[in-house]
Amino acid sequence: MSRRAGFLAALAAAAALLAVYPSVASGYGVRAGLQLFMWIALAGSWNIISGLTGYVSFGHVAFFGAGAYAAGILVVKSGWPWLPASLAGGVAACLLALVIGYPCLRLKGPYFAIAMLGLNEVVRALVSYFEGLTGGGNGLSLPTLDAAIPVYYVMGLTAAAVVALTYFVITSRFGLRLMTIREDEVAAEAMGIDTARHKLYAFLLSAVGPGIAGGLAARDQGYIEPVSVFPLATTITMIVMVLFGGKGTVWGPVLGAVVLFVFQELVWARFIYLHQLFFGAIIIAVVLLMPRGVLGLLQIRYRLPRTI
Amino acid sequence: MNVVITPGMLGQVVISGILSGALYAMVALGLALIFGVMRVINIAHGPFLMLGAYATFVLHQALGLDPYLTLPASMLLLFALGALLQRTLVFRVVDAPELSSLLLTFGISISLVNLAQLGFTSDLRAIEYITGSWPLGPFALSKARTIAFGVALALTGAAFLVLGRTRLGKAIRATSQNRDVALACGINVQGIHLLTFGFAAALAGAGGTLLSVIVAIQPDMGQIWTFKSFLVIVLGGAGNYPGALVGGLLLGLIEQLSSLFLTAQLSEVIAYLLLVVVLLVRPTGLLGGRQV
Repeated sequence: MSRRAGFLAALAAAAALLAVYPSVASGYGVRAGLQLFMWIALAGSWNIISGLTGYVSFGHVAFFGAGAYAAGILVVKSGWPWLPASLAGGVAACLLALVIGYPCLRLKGPYFAIAMLGLNEVVRALVSYFEGLTGGGNGLSLPTLDAAIPVYYVMGLTAAAVVALTYFVITSRFGLRLMTIREDEVAAEAMGIDTARHKLYAFLLSAVGPGIAGGLAARDQGYIEPVSVFPLATTITMIVMVLFGGKGTVWGPVLGAVVLFVFQELVWARFIYLHQLFFGAIIIAVVLLMPRGVLGLLQIRYRLPRTI
Repeated sequence: MNVVITPGMLGQVVISGILSGALYAMVALGLALIFGVMRVINIAHGPFLMLGAYATFVLHQALGLDPYLTLPASMLLLFALGALLQRTLVFRVVDAPELSSLLLTFGISISLVNLAQLGFTSDLRAIEYITGSWPLGPFALSKARTIAFGVALALTGAAFLVLGRTRLGKAIRATSQNRDVALACGINVQGIHLLTFGFAAALAGAGGTLLSVIVAIQPDMGQIWTFKSFLVIVLGGAGNYPGALVGGLLLGLIEQLSSLFLTAQLSEVIAYLLLVVVLLVRPTGLLGGRQV
């Protein structure tokens, strides 16, 4: 129990440090912290659907982009404040997930993965088509507003909420059912689990975080266009973060996000293609050599509980 | 959008749809074979096509070869690459959960695209080789697309002949129906996996060669083909190889018709909606059933 208390104390200290950080950090520092929170929220969300149920989402950035556009449109066209607009971005992403998830998650097998592979292109095409609402290829400019610090805090809360959600899911019966589906879906069905419904719930939960993060990122950047909010690279990055850290765990995505984000900022920002190539290699290496990721190795080595 | 649609335009669009449909069918057949035999969805299938297009581009630029004459070279190259990747990486995940094979081929796909970015830069490349069209009654047949149609149809036909009439084809079908029984019958299942993967990559490479004289070549051109090929398989019915031909023609027609009646921008959206509707209503594909 003392180990647990120590962990909680460390967690509280980290939270306190991150809370006072903006008062001492430069503008760049705040922006970097905000982006780290965003990656934690995105990676953690991808983990909820793909890490827990084993259904790979190759298009999670679509929820980020949908949230960004929903929030952007609400701010620009309806004059909403950025905070409720970002939350509405989460709702919009959830609705999109419902439309895609309902037909595709009823089936076993690769249908969902492939549907998600195409989703990004489709949402991007829709954004270009509804030019009047979205500004099309010209993008959408949000009114100028210096809100980097409030956005930092809200993004931090979003990241914390995603981690907490993951913890509660993994330690609940709901989470156990999801992991049963991942290990053997036929057996899960035979045990009386309504697999389609559980997969859909997990998918909806995994769409909310990216939707809110998208809305906040739109506010932070002040300008959104299809290329900037629907990049395939974002999906790749969140997948790499989760796989590297350890899929299906609470802290694996956080670990992966922190390590790879720092690495990315310090080393790789200058070699964009080499960076992506490296990500491809990480995915291949992790799948073949350490499917449980870094945290999985630590769990075995130090006999850590499954619920971290 | 008050354009009057004449029967002539409709006919022209149907012709374009059929012409592109054969290409879809050929590329999708490769994906269907890999899925049928190994139960692996090859996310890197589209990037294989991209590499085929670059192979043609390089051979055309460096050696001045006629783009169509590079077809065997491009197919051979992709066969070798596919076999190599199967032997070194993919065979390790054939029996693993779907998550592993999807992620592994996704990793391969990212690596191939970014290797192409490094090697060829992201500049758009074009091979200006064959332009213009042949008149056919009131319609016009784009030369490059018509040749692509003919070659794709011939290669698809040849693939069906191999599958249906040869011992190798029989072994591939047997492995795809039941691997353990195939093994018990003395079929070299590992060898069949290797050949199938190489063969499928070669079909994608052929698609790249045929496309290289039609569209601009760039490292990102491939990914959408993985999705479209899968769409073709779903339309035709997974596990049903002849279904790929029907699915390909159907996808070509749907894309062309929706760009006529709506706008070209939305043709991908329509194709996507079709995927969702088919999965809802008839998940076994329009032709249904598994008749390998």
